[in-house]
Amino acid sequence: MPPNRLRPRTRAVLLVLPALVPVVAVVGAALASAALLSLGLAPLVGEPQLSLDAYRGAAGDLGTGIGLSLGIAAAATLVATVVGLCLALAATAAVRRSRLLGALAALTIPIPHLVGAAAIGLLLADAGFLSRLLGVDPSSWPPLVGGPLWVAVVAEYAWKESAFVALVVAGVLSSRAASYGETAALLGAGRWARLRHVTLPLAAPALGATAAVSFVYTLGSYEVAALLGRAHPEPLPVLAYRLFTSIDLAARPQAAAVALTTAGLALVVVLLSLRALRRLAAER
Amino acid sequence: MTAPRAVLAASRAGRTLLAGWLVLPLVPLLLWAFADRWTFPAVLPQEWGTRGAEEALAAGAGGAFLTSTLLGTVVALLATPLGAVAGRALASRQVPGGTAVLAVLLSPLALPPFAVALGLDVLLLRLRIPAAAGVVVLLLVAALPYTVLTMRAAYAAHDRGFEDEARVLGATRWQTVRSVQLPLVAPALAGAAFLAFLVGWSDYIVTVLVGGGQLTTLPLLVASAASATGSDAQVAILSLTSILPPVALLLVVGSLGRRGRR
Amino acid sequence: MNGSELRLTGLTRVHGTGSAPALADFSLEVPAGACMAILGPSGSGKSTVLRLTAGLDEPTAGSVHLDGADLAGVLPERRGMAMVFQRPLLFPHLSVRDNVAFADRVRGVPRRTARRRAEEFLGLVQLDGFGDRPARALSGGQEQRVALARALAAEPRVLLLDEPFSALDARLREEMHELLADLRMRLDPTILLVTHDHAEAGALADGVAVLDRGRLLQAGPMRELYARPASLAVSRLLGGRTEVAGMVRSGVHRSPLGALALPRKVPDGPAVLVVRHEAVQVTTAADPAADAVGTVVRARRRGMRTLVTVEVPGDGGTAAVDAELEPGQEVPTGRTVGLRLPVEGRWVVPVDGVAVEPVAGAPRA
Repeated sequence: MPPNRLRPRTRAVLLVLPALVPVVAVVGAALASAALLSLGLAPLVGEPQLSLDAYRGAAGDLGTGIGLSLGIAAAATLVATVVGLCLALAATAAVRRSRLLGALAALTIPIPHLVGAAAIGLLLADAGFLSRLLGVDPSSWPPLVGGPLWVAVVAEYAWKESAFVALVVAGVLSSRAASYGETAALLGAGRWARLRHVTLPLAAPALGATAAVSFVYTLGSYEVAALLGRAHPEPLPVLAYRLFTSIDLAARPQAAAVALTTAGLALVVVLLSLRALRRLAAER
Repeated sequence: MTAPRAVLAASRAGRTLLAGWLVLPLVPLLLWAFADRWTFPAVLPQEWGTRGAEEALAAGAGGAFLTSTLLGTVVALLATPLGAVAGRALASRQVPGGTAVLAVLLSPLALPPFAVALGLDVLLLRLRIPAAAGVVVLLLVAALPYTVLTMRAAYAAHDRGFEDEARVLGATRWQTVRSVQLPLVAPALAGAAFLAFLVGWSDYIVTVLVGGGQLTTLPLLVASAASATGSDAQVAILSLTSILPPVALLLVVGSLGRRGRR
Repeated sequence: MNGSELRLTGLTRVHGTGSAPALADFSLEVPAGACMAILGPSGSGKSTVLRLTAGLDEPTAGSVHLDGADLAGVLPERRGMAMVFQRPLLFPHLSVRDNVAFADRVRGVPRRTARRRAEEFLGLVQLDGFGDRPARALSGGQEQRVALARALAAEPRVLLLDEPFSALDARLREEMHELLADLRMRLDPTILLVTHDHAEAGALADGVAVLDRGRLLQAGPMRELYARPASLAVSRLLGGRTEVAGMVRSGVHRSPLGALALPRKVPDGPAVLVVRHEAVQVTTAADPAADAVGTVVRARRRGMRTLVTVEVPGDGGTAAVDAELEPGQEVPTGRTVGLRLPVEGRWVVPVDGVAVEPVAGAPRA
């Protein structure tokens, strides 16, 4: 064997390493460091001592934060999935296909979430564009931005993620649905029957996967809730950020505890989604 | 296929609603960007002008634009080749435990970026790693899942026969990569680079947590302007500045992809 | 272009420890300027021979010699070979001309010279004027012509052809056969051709090596293999249809067909008689020169000719003999006919070696 040729497996491992090493180093170091900090084993001052004080100290806010974060993520994902599916159906319809909707969805993708938040703020705030359009006085305009129902936050995530759902699902449908739809039509299936028995089952795996990705993203994203939300109660990322940047050094371990809890929550969601998607795949 | 008039009307109304859903949030952005005076309850600005742009420039938009461009470019330049090389290895099915390796490479997608940044921040400070380098490494890790996935799919669809043919015809390993493999996966490379650029360009939380005030990017300016009151024009112009480069890149990448498919 | 002499010795390729070798102890000599075919079913290891020869894969054991020089460790690009695969694999980002100029370009030939030479080779495959087209704008037959021109333009010492025509329809395949024969006359390349079609091997190659499950079964001139296959497996791979088990004693094969004298002395013992259906003549039942008499049980049309199966009852069972009728000759099923089996067309192969699968109508030993 000539010296400059490596065995294929060795070569493949060497090719993966440059990407794998930074991911393992960063993710591993970050999680380990956060775990040590939250368990009192790497205090910024004083002796290391194993304790759950950080978790205990943050417990109240943590409980509220988990509920709030899950609620926001669920609401935003639900709207994004429904609207995204409608967009995908319109963009891939066999008759009167809307190229415009597909293009608009694609152009929404590269808009940073933070910019989306700024835009939604200008749209939904009292005296914002929408209240001017509808001619509603600021005093009687509902508190969409910073209000108790987190409407602006949910709207921003739903807006951005619906475009993502639409693009992925439209990609799946455009490559497969047309021919199946024609076959079904030849077999005598009507408009609704085709949607129910052909299009939706074809779209389901992509829809489920994109819903899971959107949910996990929304759960862990900071800037939209920080900009469009209210000061109290706080979703998990906002809570962690406030604790971490607090002048009180004792709050740092609590911030790490919140971060780890969020990561754990995200991981559980991912595993549950993978299981559900696998079951979906096994059914057919 | 013919449809009854009611279905047609409903379908048209639905499409209009969907288009409105996608476009409406951007309308106040476009109007505010060039509004010098726009008081309630006017639906359109009363005075048009460049006050927002002037305020944005005064706040350092020029420098922030350059910093963001640089950050996005560096992340793309690092994440694209690493993702391409790893994607190729994973597509070849020669990597031992390939599924597990892929899962690890995709794990940054599942982990909240603030949690990773927050955990690493303490460590970076202790190791005295420069803040900018820390930001780049974290964003590289955040971008790798996208480049790995894109390139793995591209290489899975890529026919190794082309490379065998080139080798037998006398091309060296490197010539084969340069004159056969890279041109064939060029559209995917452009797509992967675009996604990686977007990760660097759009990031807010990692830059804030790890950058330690040394990096002022466009998203930071947008956030600080948006959380202040009375600077709606500045917010709008900064936001538009953040949207236009990636949208222009998307159009370029899209046309590249179409050319590649033809 | 002058082809080199290629010698493969004991080539073996095992893909994983414990798995059956893809190729075991394969040896073959291809004289300079000759065309040798490797014939085998899919999965027989015939493509492995080409990949090992080209250096795209490394042998577990054995060697490849080109004009006497050992190629072990020589990279594919330094072996001076060229290969045409079943898929044309034209580089989609290059024009037809630049595809043909590829080998010259990677060797550092100036673009202008490489393109001029490419035009010459396009002319050789009768595609003058196609140079400017994008590689994707060709038909299947044209694509394979360009692939051939691209390989020839590399001026290979050995041209490797991996089922290059099997994806083409019958008429195009015939055209490509003629083109290749013409190119051989003009350029005299050494060719190693892999195919699963014995007719293609017969049409193109001077000699053939029959491969099955990684093992070389027999090698030699095509005509000899047709007439004297070494085993039942070879006979079947070459399209042999008639197999009659029986016993040889003092140069005579005894079976339900009766006692048939053999053209050569063979050792006594059980043996299977094989006769090419092209050699069998169907006559009337009353023909005094008939070697056997039987009933037509099946007739299949094959273009101008008809292939019939004749069952001959005899001692200890029934023998089935396939025969190709003369063009225009018609025999209905159920008719009793006489069969002439010319002495030169008779051949026996050993019963063992390959498990004899029960053939319809053949006596079970």
